[in-house]
Amino acid sequence: MIDVILQAFASIVLDPVTLGLMFVGTLAGILAGAIPGFTIAMGVILTLPFTFGMTAVQGLATMLGVFVGGFSGGLMSCMLTGIPGTPSSVATTFDGFPLVRSGRPGLALGLGLWSSFFGGMISAVILVALAPQLAFLGLEFGPWDYFSLIIFALTITVSLSGGNITKGLIAGLLGLFAATVGEDEINGVARFTFGFDDFKQGFAFLPVLIGLFAFSQLLTDVEDDKRAKSPLMSQSGTVVKVEHRQAILIILKRWLNLFRSSFIGIFTGILPAAGGSISNILAYDQAKKASPNRSNFGKGEYDGVIAPEAANNATAGGALIMMMALGIPGDIVTAVMLGALMIHNIIPGPTFIQDEPLLAYGVFIAFFVAHFFMVGLQAFSLRIFLLVTKIPMYVLASVILAYCAIGVFALHNIVFDIWVMFFFGVIGYFMKKLGFPLAPMILGVVLGKLAELNLARATGISDDMLLFISRPWSLFFLLMAIISVIFPFYQEAKKETLFAKLYVPISMIVLSLPLFLMGSPVRMIVAAILVLTGAYFLYKRTSSLKTT
Amino acid sequence: MSINKDTIVAIFLLLFCGIMINSSFDIEDPGYQGMKASFWPTIVLCLLSVMSLVMLIKSMVSSTENNLNFENTNSQNIFLKFKNASICFLMFILFLVFLDYLGMLIGGVLFVFGLLTLLGGFEIKKIINHSIISITTIGIMWSIFTFGLKVILPEGEILRIW
Repeated sequence: MIDVILQAFASIVLDPVTLGLMFVGTLAGILAGAIPGFTIAMGVILTLPFTFGMTAVQGLATMLGVFVGGFSGGLMSCMLTGIPGTPSSVATTFDGFPLVRSGRPGLALGLGLWSSFFGGMISAVILVALAPQLAFLGLEFGPWDYFSLIIFALTITVSLSGGNITKGLIAGLLGLFAATVGEDEINGVARFTFGFDDFKQGFAFLPVLIGLFAFSQLLTDVEDDKRAKSPLMSQSGTVVKVEHRQAILIILKRWLNLFRSSFIGIFTGILPAAGGSISNILAYDQAKKASPNRSNFGKGEYDGVIAPEAANNATAGGALIMMMALGIPGDIVTAVMLGALMIHNIIPGPTFIQDEPLLAYGVFIAFFVAHFFMVGLQAFSLRIFLLVTKIPMYVLASVILAYCAIGVFALHNIVFDIWVMFFFGVIGYFMKKLGFPLAPMILGVVLGKLAELNLARATGISDDMLLFISRPWSLFFLLMAIISVIFPFYQEAKKETLFAKLYVPISMIVLSLPLFLMGSPVRMIVAAILVLTGAYFLYKRTSSLKTT
Repeated sequence: MSINKDTIVAIFLLLFCGIMINSSFDIEDPGYQGMKASFWPTIVLCLLSVMSLVMLIKSMVSSTENNLNFENTNSQNIFLKFKNASICFLMFILFLVFLDYLGMLIGGVLFVFGLLTLLGGFEIKKIINHSIISITTIGIMWSIFTFGLKVILPEGEILRIW
């Protein structure tokens, strides 16, 4: 094991090419995160074409640089201009911007930067510790369980992506359908090709992703004529000197907030589709509730900067845990990384860490290293950021649209892929306009083939469809899928309604059933705790109903 | 009962599902054991049809929030709203149609220049800026992919003859 870790370490830290790529990746990520209208996912997607010619380790290390850099880029724009660069830094604005305006911009940036660093480090440790264990758990999964896990990943994406659940489910199903076009992998039979030879190879995942996400986003960015022609930011910040030492001391004094926020971030990252945009607000909210200086929140409170920044960087580690251990992307960024691995003929899954230890530990180490780059590059990237914000959006959009075309062509060297990107770009644009969330569709495209493959394996082993509900893990994921579909209705329901009162306790009791069926002592104890807690809540809530 | 954007989208989706389910009957069955090639797409399409139907019903019984008001729809406003996106679509289609002839380098430069000028304006100073931006950015990207990443980008008939 040690020799594998050392080899992985050497492949990242002792290889100047990989380090150089990570340097550029982190810088690009910081800028992508800092520019409003651009997202971290978009930064990672646009990096992808450059990674085709790299080794798998180099490609993933570069993308991790963008991923980690993106989170800290968001804090730069929100603190200096009051406009969050990414949704994952929205809560940082609440106290970061007032702290800057109170005359402490160096301290505000330092707090954000080092909270991101420590949050990332904590999640990196958890990633290294938890991913292999979760992968061992994944080895228990049969095709039935895997199929149900994919269904759960899709339904939770739908319920967490906000908005109308019907539209979310339709988007997810459209993604699953798009993945069926072309020759099927099991029988080699052409499907929905309508006589076009180009359709036989199906829609490659990356052109679809770039089209749906990047292309449609760029069209939205230039939609408003006036906004498209004006510089990216009307309020431009100034270069400030970051107060590193004082920021570190303040954060370490507030270690409880740091750890709590980091764990919120990790947990949110593990959940498919729940990314930094949710974790930063959750962590801020918890920090505010736990703080004795609650009234200072919103006025430049240090804890209000530490919590969201630690949480959003920790989310990255959480999302990687799911991808590394089970091959299920936690968000769009890890979906892109999954695609990058597939380009190198590596299919992540429970055996990934065992089969590709060098690559797996390379990812772990790259995640650590990226955080050091993030800290080191902050001052330099601040200057570039101030220059980039003077460029109008229409210039960036036009250049990036052309870059998308070149990048997509580089994937298979065929023009058809550019047409696919364009087609899905148009679809993505109109879907957004009509209120359909894009994340479920993207996950549908990514997981569609995997779902079909596992369904085929399951039905190939046995005709008995009841295995989907009689196998404990499969039942567990299907129940989780049902619970996640109902979740948006729970959110909308008024607190005093019977449904809102019973949703959580009944979900807990129901989920304990498959855990009991698993038989192992630890899981039975967890199941018993779930039943008891659920029963306690049920009793309390029904008795409060009786009294009212 | 009302008709709104969602109603139209739901009807479109139902038509789409109908066509695709119909074409799923044409999927060949090679007679191998195990799951048929048409099984999974049919499940997905059936679920999609059900969800589209749910959307249709919901849209028809919902409030008048998204209702289409044909009398008050100003075609000029719609045009202005989608003007820039339409320009992007059109330019991209032109770029793709002429890609075999112009190649990625010339086609890319013309695409970026055209798009910049159509979106940004036709003043002389801007046109000069746009030409510099398009030549340098596409030139850099083309060089990175051609020489750095060894990707053979479409050369185009013009450069091939030349």
